[in-house]
Amino acid sequence: MIKQLSQRLLGPVTFVLLALTLWLGLWVTPSFEIQGDLARLVYVHPAVAWVAIYVSFGTATIASALYLWRRTRSMLVDRIAHCAMEVSVVFILLTLITGSIWGRPAWGVWWAWDARLTSTAVLGVFALAYLALRRANDDPELRARRSAVLALLAAINVPIIQFSVQWWKTLHQGATVFTTDHGLKIHGIQAWTLLISFLGFTMLFFWLLRARYRLEVLRDERYNASLEEALVQRRREGVR
Amino acid sequence: MPDADVGLDLTPVAAPPSKRRGRRRSIGVVALLAVAVLALLSQGLLHSLNYFETVDQAMHSRGSLGTKTIRLEGIVKPNTINRTATGASFWIKGGGKEVFVSAHGSPPQLFQANIPVVVVGHFTSRTSDTFYGTQIMVKHTASYIAQHPKRVKAPNGSTR
Repeated sequence: MIKQLSQRLLGPVTFVLLALTLWLGLWVTPSFEIQGDLARLVYVHPAVAWVAIYVSFGTATIASALYLWRRTRSMLVDRIAHCAMEVSVVFILLTLITGSIWGRPAWGVWWAWDARLTSTAVLGVFALAYLALRRANDDPELRARRSAVLALLAAINVPIIQFSVQWWKTLHQGATVFTTDHGLKIHGIQAWTLLISFLGFTMLFFWLLRARYRLEVLRDERYNASLEEALVQRRREGVR
Repeated sequence: MPDADVGLDLTPVAAPPSKRRGRRRSIGVVALLAVAVLALLSQGLLHSLNYFETVDQAMHSRGSLGTKTIRLEGIVKPNTINRTATGASFWIKGGGKEVFVSAHGSPPQLFQANIPVVVVGHFTSRTSDTFYGTQIMVKHTASYIAQHPKRVKAPNGSTR
């Protein structure tokens, strides 16, 4: 009952949160000192990056680790890893695009080869390689094992992305919301809008993951059904 | 007893995919991944993990830098900006040192006094304080303070 209700509410709640972000971000919140209206991208870019790097890539990594651990190994976790990684690719791309749109007027360039941007692009390449590796293997178990190993290897890059702005000198700004001493850098309605955007995009991830997972299940069912049908047909041919 | 050969489709079917083929493809994907990652890193991080030199660092190693192209970071000194037809000239400071920048090309939208900038260019000589810039980038901070301070309250209730 609760499961059904939450599944039904996922889409509408996501829509409401994202619509609220749009309304608050564009019309209600004041513009910013120094950056003016440019900084309204703060309600999109950090949330998209959060989902790309931590939520979706994190889900794919955890599911991959669960697959590699014998006790929890199942095609279900492999499927979750695959679907989460696909969504991650979309969000990594969105992160790079929104960052670029922000960077051009703010920095003066669309792209800079600094540690934060480069390491994020490297994560995108790893995510694409993960999907390519899945297509390269026809054996389901081999495919699951190899891609899970690659996902865990790629996850090493996540802390590098996170701490790149502290470890090295980058054009990209430091921590957006919290300072290193955990002080909040954004207040009032702006902080609430930022929180809502994080929630909205996180919910969007789960909505997309669920839709992609269902599609994968349907695809597997169709494949199994067609295989079964082909076997029956073959048997009939043999009897004739 | 039915004749097994009559009406039976004996055309050869494709062999099931072998593990060897999967392994070859996997190695191909991993090789491509390695090439792509190395290409990205060679552009971005293999030369230097740090994107720029600060003013004091650059001044310290000015002799060895010579007229080599670098990225120089510093804060734009107020009342020094002079916009020209081809670009802008201004002083930047950092770590107690100052450098005069003469840059070509239009500065970014956010370019202004007291803002950190990264200028791509080179010193005009080993001993010069003048830096010839070909590109100005603004390194904005992560400060998101509202333009109308009274509308924003800090968690402790004070207005900022």
